[in-house]
Amino acid sequence: MELQVMISMLATSYLVSLQIFAFTLLGAIPLGIPIALGRLSRFKPLAWLMTFYISIMRGTPLMLQMFVVFFVPYYVFGITNPPGFNLTACIIAFILNYAAYFAEIYRSGIQSMPRGQYEAAEVLGYSKPQTFFRIILPQGAKRILPTMGNEVITLVKDTSLAFSIGVAEMFTQGKGLVASQRNMIPFAICAIFYWVTCLLIEFLLRRIEKRLDYYHD
Amino acid sequence: MTDVTRAKIGTPAVSATNVRKAFGSKEVLCDISLTINHGEVVSLIGPSGAGKSTMLRCLTLLDTFDAGRLCYGDIEVCAPSVGTDGSETKAEYSKKAMREARMRFGLVFQNFNLFPHFSVLRNVCDAPISVQKRNSQEVEAEARKILDELGLTEHADKVPCQLSGGQQQRVAIARALAMNPDVLYFDEATSALDPKLTADMHALIRRLAGEGMAIGIVTHEMGFAREVSDRITFLFDGQIVEEGPAQQVIDNPQDERTQRFLAHSVD
Repeated sequence: MELQVMISMLATSYLVSLQIFAFTLLGAIPLGIPIALGRLSRFKPLAWLMTFYISIMRGTPLMLQMFVVFFVPYYVFGITNPPGFNLTACIIAFILNYAAYFAEIYRSGIQSMPRGQYEAAEVLGYSKPQTFFRIILPQGAKRILPTMGNEVITLVKDTSLAFSIGVAEMFTQGKGLVASQRNMIPFAICAIFYWVTCLLIEFLLRRIEKRLDYYHD
Repeated sequence: MTDVTRAKIGTPAVSATNVRKAFGSKEVLCDISLTINHGEVVSLIGPSGAGKSTMLRCLTLLDTFDAGRLCYGDIEVCAPSVGTDGSETKAEYSKKAMREARMRFGLVFQNFNLFPHFSVLRNVCDAPISVQKRNSQEVEAEARKILDELGLTEHADKVPCQLSGGQQQRVAIARALAMNPDVLYFDEATSALDPKLTADMHALIRRLAGEGMAIGIVTHEMGFAREVSDRITFLFDGQIVEEGPAQQVIDNPQDERTQRFLAHSVD
């Protein structure tokens, strides 16, 4: 098989990897907020529940979580999975897992805010949601950006786990090609795809960091 | 400042009556009463641990009194609830009154607590617009006027970290003034300022009082308190041990504890 054909096959399945990546971020970035706030809630049962959730999500393999999401509808509820459900299941599992990690990062950001910011907002009459969205969140976002960048880059490579429930993402395709072509070149191409993606993300993160660099506290 | 406010000069803007506060078994405020009238500058002085900060935190609703009454003008923020046997028990706060009272006072924090991610102008405008729901153009025009008066015209679009300590404090004052408060509190008004800026601060505080604002200052700088205040309240171990016209309390203290404290404070 010619190199060009291999590249174009891998590029097509790369789009699936990108899909997992993008949908996971789209879902997990907002979902992490209520989890973090619940974890910090003064209503103890909610805080315990969220602590438990985070513990399970971080303490068990993502691959196992994908199996659960993928097989539970069939084995527990007897629902036959519709075609293409494996990609959906994969994205759901990724969102649930990454939201737990993001929640902990958000928590670190929220807790690093000086008390004086809350007090200033309170004296000025801001409501709790206003304080969070106008004062805490924008400053917290800047503080957690480097840590978030780390997770986002990890996510790029974690998409390769999707092969375990049969999602035809790039690495699944790469392994197939390695087996059928009996050479390692597809792996090298995959590596380049992953690396270039991460380079792009690093570049983007640097731009955002620069944009938020207009103040320091 | 409106003429309505000026007309109120001499009437109480804030009054705390027989308030108490304890942390565990330690009584921090024991049966204190304090009133600040419109147009009056009152300083609360005393050694560290006397309860000055606790008093200020409770007055600004960052903390609550255990017992007693707190009123901002006609708003009763907390009042003693009467128990079944007729005895007075814990102070009861009304959420609604707290919300309304927050519009009646401003606080300039010791370390200012400006919002670092907002420009100077936004620091001043944000609360009036998003909390008081006022028209944003009007608020901005008014904010620019306040910034002009405080000599911050050319700093409106900077962020707080680009300003000096004295400038940041003036932004904090502008932020408080934009809410049109009746009472303005200062936590250590001059600890961040050099002599020139301290003089400016003196002039500003007197001007605001002249316009009918009630000013409450918590400080341990006797010199400044003596110059700027109409009245001084001396707090010691959670009790008011001396209170009166500024010069009298500083220059001719009656209470033995005040005498000892003033003898040790070198200005």
